[in-house]
Amino acid sequence: MSVAIEVKDVVKKFRRGRRLKKRDIFAVDKATFDIEEGELFGLLGPNGAGKTTLVRCLATLLIQDEGTIKIMGKDIYSNSLYCRRQIGLVTSGERTLYWKLSGRDNLKFFAALYGLDGKERDMRIEYLMELLDLKDVQNERIEKYSSGMKQKISLARALLHDPKVLLLDEPTLGLDPQFSRFLRNFIKNSLNKEQKKTILLTTHYMDEADELCERIAFINRGKIVDVKTPYEYKRDLPHTEVLELRCSGIQNCDELLKQLQSLNSVEKTTANSVDHVTNIKIILPRAEPILSDTIELVRKQGKILGINVEQPTLEDVFIYVTGTRLSEDTAEERPATKD
Amino acid sequence: MKQFIKQMKHYARAVWAENIKEWKVELTYKPDFIRGLIDPLVYALPYLLYGIALVGGRNSKTLQGLVGSGDIITFVTLGYVFIGFLNMALWAMGFSLRKEQYWGTLESVFAAPVPRWVFAMGMAAHSTLHQGLMISVQLLVINLIFKLTINPAGILPSLLVVAVMLIALYGLGMMIASVTLVLKQGQLVSEALSGIMMIITPIAYPLAVLPLFLRKAAMFIPTTYGIMTVRHFLMGENMGFSVATSFFRLALLGIAWVTFGIIIFEIIDQRTRRTGTISHY
Ligand SMILES: Nc1ncnc2c1ncn2[C@@H]1O[C@H](COP(=O)(O)OP(=O)(O)OP(=O)(O)O)[C@@H](O)[C@H]1O
Ligand SMILES: [Mg+2]
Repeated sequence: MSVAIEVKDVVKKFRRGRRLKKRDIFAVDKATFDIEEGELFGLLGPNGAGKTTLVRCLATLLIQDEGTIKIMGKDIYSNSLYCRRQIGLVTSGERTLYWKLSGRDNLKFFAALYGLDGKERDMRIEYLMELLDLKDVQNERIEKYSSGMKQKISLARALLHDPKVLLLDEPTLGLDPQFSRFLRNFIKNSLNKEQKKTILLTTHYMDEADELCERIAFINRGKIVDVKTPYEYKRDLPHTEVLELRCSGIQNCDELLKQLQSLNSVEKTTANSVDHVTNIKIILPRAEPILSDTIELVRKQGKILGINVEQPTLEDVFIYVTGTRLSEDTAEERPATKD
Repeated sequence: MKQFIKQMKHYARAVWAENIKEWKVELTYKPDFIRGLIDPLVYALPYLLYGIALVGGRNSKTLQGLVGSGDIITFVTLGYVFIGFLNMALWAMGFSLRKEQYWGTLESVFAAPVPRWVFAMGMAAHSTLHQGLMISVQLLVINLIFKLTINPAGILPSLLVVAVMLIALYGLGMMIASVTLVLKQGQLVSEALSGIMMIITPIAYPLAVLPLFLRKAAMFIPTTYGIMTVRHFLMGENMGFSVATSFFRLALLGIAWVTFGIIIFEIIDQRTRRTGTISHY
């Protein structure tokens, strides 16, 4: 197997603020990983982790400040046209198509940009419309499409030139569950298994990464924290149980977490509150011995609505490794350096 | 070599596809499109009538003395055509990338395996065809109403002059297109340039009425040669230099402006890819 995507020590900084308050944020901070040919590789991280920035670097839309990126063995900076030919890009967001044009006209336009013409082009568009079940709507304007159909056209566009590598940036974001399921299946079975495409998929849905990806890189605050298979992540987690509590009326959450943390053999605690309901997660080898103490501590502050003991999911692994929840927005609180 | 030809074909098709796409988008707003055809006429008519009222007829002795032919209607109409070309570069081409940025399609387009100057050519092709259509309609209508007095033998050479002049305007358009991508108030650049060029190029009046330093400045602007040479061919304007000189200078200006345009385009392209400012509208 040879390497399809090689990312080495990539740094991408953005400048924030004006004049005196200028500072750099490291959107991508020394990222290094390889993706093998034919691999379905996941980049999993919370909002603002740097996933999109990394994808945009790979797609030559951004130039990294440091480090090198190679696609199919060639450096993207010195061979950008070659590399763009190898890549099919699906960015998140719906506005990447011409809304006033039909799906078919959109594809025809982009086909020309990708060097397709005449019969070859028509056959390819026909094939993709068939494959993605878009034939009924192909002559309608994009503005009339549902989000899912727009995403299908974006995917069809990325496949026009039959690229070896696909970069999919949060492809199921904002889609209803049924469409998400269709798309996940399509990515895994049709694109990866049958057509043997190398796929880099970013997501902040851990179940999506768990279900689809052969290997997953955790990314948090611009840093690649770890790269493993989903199985390895779960296996290597030395803790086997997650104690979840749903409670209300918690006034001093930090204090409670501190108390819980000091209980015997507790490894990690996190909490998040929505509408006065606090969800507490405690990661530890075995939940049963601390159950009564935990209940007592929580009761001092509020009411318990539910208790659950579960096996760790990839999300718990992420919390364990990074200390951050996947649903958290980390965009504004990353470490910054002055210039 | 074969590879090269294949690549050039690919680029040519991309240019054409860009043009077709622009027409398709434009024609989805049909009322706007028709207004685009009619508006310039509506703007032009008061000036033409104002001119007639002011001079007390179609012929002006003063103009005859300065240009060679005294027909103010033809004079103003030809000037108007050149304002159209200028606007094409400053606004249509100048805001084409910005428009795609606003739509959200710019990144998808830039991710394609085509050098970015190909898009510049695509938008130049569309703007030219669009403006060409507009100008033809305007000329036809004005001619119907006023019957322009032009020398028919001058039409073909005039088209040639316009073609050479367009090269320089494409350079200008490319420059503005990239500048408007990074400046939030990009229209100010276009407005300022438009103002300056309108004042110093002899579009609405003969060159001779300008003060000397402005006449000197006008010599660096392609529309100056464009309009004067066209008026020379169609109305017999005495330019003060030969047709050959005019073509030669136009060609030089074309090379200079296009080079300048490409350099600015490339610099801004590199810069935006480093700073990441392109995705932020
Ligand atoms: N063009 C830009 N200019 C300035 N800052 C930027 C730019 N693009 C991204 N950032 C910042 O870089 C960080 C990483 O953003 P990025 O969009 O890559 O994250 P992400 O993992 O894709 O998040 P999300 O899940 O929200 O899409 C964020 O703090 C973001 O605000
Ligand atoms: Mg993103």
